[in-house]
Amino acid sequence: MIEISGHNIIIALTIHYVDEPMLLKVRFHGRGGHGVKTASRILGEAAFNEGLYAQDSPIYGAERRGAPVAAFTRISDEEILERGFIFDPDIVVVMDETLLNDWSAKPLDGLKPGGIAFVNTTANSQLYDYGETIRENLVIYDLTGLALKIIGKPIISTPSAAAASKITGIISESSLIDAVTSELSEIGVGDDVIENNIILAREVFRSIPETPPSTKLSDSKRELIPLEVVISYPGYEDIVSVGNSPLRKTGNWRVFKPIVDFSRCTACGVCFVYCPDAAITLRSDGKPEIDYDNCKGCLICYRECPPRAISIEREVRVW
Amino acid sequence: MRHKAVMLTGNAAAAWGARLARAEYIPAYPITPQTEIIETLTKWIQEGEMDAKLVQLESEHSMLTAAGTASLTGVRVFTATSSQGLLYGFEMLYNIAGWRAPLVLVNVSRALAAPISLEPDHNDVLAARDSGFIQLHAETCQEVLDFILLAYRVAEDRRVMLPAIVNMDGFYLSFTREPVKIREQDLVDEFLPHYSAVNPFRASRHVAKGSAVVGGHIYSYFKYHMHEALRRAHDVFIEAARSFSRKFGELYHPVSGYMLDDAEYVLVMSNSFATLGKHVVKLMRQRGVPAGLLKISMIRPFPAEEIANSLKGRKAVAVFDQNISLGLGGIIYNEVLGALYGCPKRPEIVLSVIGGVGGKWLSVEEMEKIFDELKRLERSGITKPRPLFLFRRDELTHIERVLKLAGTIEVSHHE
Ligand code: SF4
Ligand code: SF4
Repeated sequence: MIEISGHNIIIALTIHYVDEPMLLKVRFHGRGGHGVKTASRILGEAAFNEGLYAQDSPIYGAERRGAPVAAFTRISDEEILERGFIFDPDIVVVMDETLLNDWSAKPLDGLKPGGIAFVNTTANSQLYDYGETIRENLVIYDLTGLALKIIGKPIISTPSAAAASKITGIISESSLIDAVTSELSEIGVGDDVIENNIILAREVFRSIPETPPSTKLSDSKRELIPLEVVISYPGYEDIVSVGNSPLRKTGNWRVFKPIVDFSRCTACGVCFVYCPDAAITLRSDGKPEIDYDNCKGCLICYRECPPRAISIEREVRVW
Repeated sequence: MRHKAVMLTGNAAAAWGARLARAEYIPAYPITPQTEIIETLTKWIQEGEMDAKLVQLESEHSMLTAAGTASLTGVRVFTATSSQGLLYGFEMLYNIAGWRAPLVLVNVSRALAAPISLEPDHNDVLAARDSGFIQLHAETCQEVLDFILLAYRVAEDRRVMLPAIVNMDGFYLSFTREPVKIREQDLVDEFLPHYSAVNPFRASRHVAKGSAVVGGHIYSYFKYHMHEALRRAHDVFIEAARSFSRKFGELYHPVSGYMLDDAEYVLVMSNSFATLGKHVVKLMRQRGVPAGLLKISMIRPFPAEEIANSLKGRKAVAVFDQNISLGLGGIIYNEVLGALYGCPKRPEIVLSVIGGVGGKWLSVEEMEKIFDELKRLERSGITKPRPLFLFRRDELTHIERVLKLAGTIEVSHHE
């Protein structure tokens, strides 16, 4: 374990050298609002700036904040004959550690033997459990913490791209910075914010060690099934069970957690009225109870509470 | 030439195509995954980088009506839609073609509801295959840009005078960035001179268009003309493509081969998944299998003769359809079979493969399966194979879980 400026970086295992004609596949996982697509574009542009072939693309459904999003960047020294979903990444960038538990996002799925898993986390002890699951090289870093410090917002497109760029070992800092500048200006980000993002990118790029993956072709085979098996299942699109939404807990979207100081709370009920997600109920004494399984951390209650009885705390142990 | 390229999405490449073609009128209506094209053009027009009029209509039906009628005044018209939007304006497609209005419509393929989806297949664009539009289907973002330029050139040719659809896949091209060469404006201007219409609508000039006909013979007369004009678009395209290659380097063909020359097993594909097809052909070659790919870029007019010529003498052929004509099967498969019928030395085995419907992700294993199947058929001597529907165990496992959530199945003991 190497400690750098307060951010923990764990490298479980490192093997260098990349063989064959290079095709490096990077898969980003995050949530709507994190800047997942932009991260994949910055990495793509940075590789392109290096004179390499690059391809980047996002995949998402009906866009909404907090929903799992994935994006893909392919980098090669020859024309890229692949498209769309990356099944067998060399590097996965998990921009939200809580996605490690998400059955539909499955961020580590298909990671090649010898591949690198990067996880944005405060590196609390619980991630070590994932060390078991992530048998590949694991790099962790608190991108959100650094983003909050430097740009004041938990938007982590730039630092995620910086981390990925450095891990590849084939992208220079200047190519990365050029890419940050061009991608952020293209989406209309102001000059001062771009400046801060550059500081952020440099900091991450310099802190994270080069860890080029030395992956082998995955030998896991995906099995095909005949049509007869597919059509032996029900074929109507009906949903007959009601109340599915409680199954999808949204509490792990939080970056900050609202905490009520009951000694200052006047039981005015304002937070209860304002909470857009009905995550607050009122107890018999009229004071609020927050459903942390589903509170998304929008912090409206914190802003609206008249006597400022609600404080906030960075969420670090969310699952 | 690589240094001249920039990273562009298919949508941005389409906007560049319209801009370089100096499209003058752009009726628009938003729909995912096409909207970025219109947003990009709007931005350029607003910033004064492009001289065109962009109008947002209240539906795709109105949008296509405005597009067709504006084209008849002699301006160059560009428009774009997707999926449900194309179907909503569908009635006008036949009208625009009948009016002989040579506009260019970009369709960003997206599967048709229901179930509703955002990802691509070609049931939307192939629904328009009989309308009289030229159809060019792009594999790459570069082709999106270049096909728009070629489409105008062919559509506006006096031997053709028919509208064109340039198709690109949603997500796999529309939102995917890859290096694209933005063509030089002065060369594009030479390649694509100002459009001059036949009998354009003008103030104080007598011309009626789209008149009603009474009598099937009159209707037949004009339809036969349109059919022949659309067939001529094939040779006009080849001519235009040669001129394009002299200016820009790339030489496009209605159909083109990848590792095809000595191939014994051939995969026929179109659109962006053809890239995956090439990948698997390369893998097969590394394993010593003489595989090849035939890409169809021009869907209308259908280049039947070239397809038949390219496939004759092959051991086995698979036609990949990212569409499904319910109750029939793959659309392109049936068209390819038609092209092969009666040809000497036609391949004995022609397998229909249905895959990527609704944008279903394709793994390498699925693409490999196609060639495994061709070899199996050849060994067993089966000449009338059942279609191969691509689907994976892990996908079914996911569906089991979704069906359980939906309450449609109780437990997953099934299979
Ligand atoms: S942070 Fe937002 S979601 Fe959570 S309790 Fe407060 S208002 Fe509700
Ligand atoms: S708004 Fe503040 S004071 Fe009012 S009930 Fe909520 S926590 Fe208590």
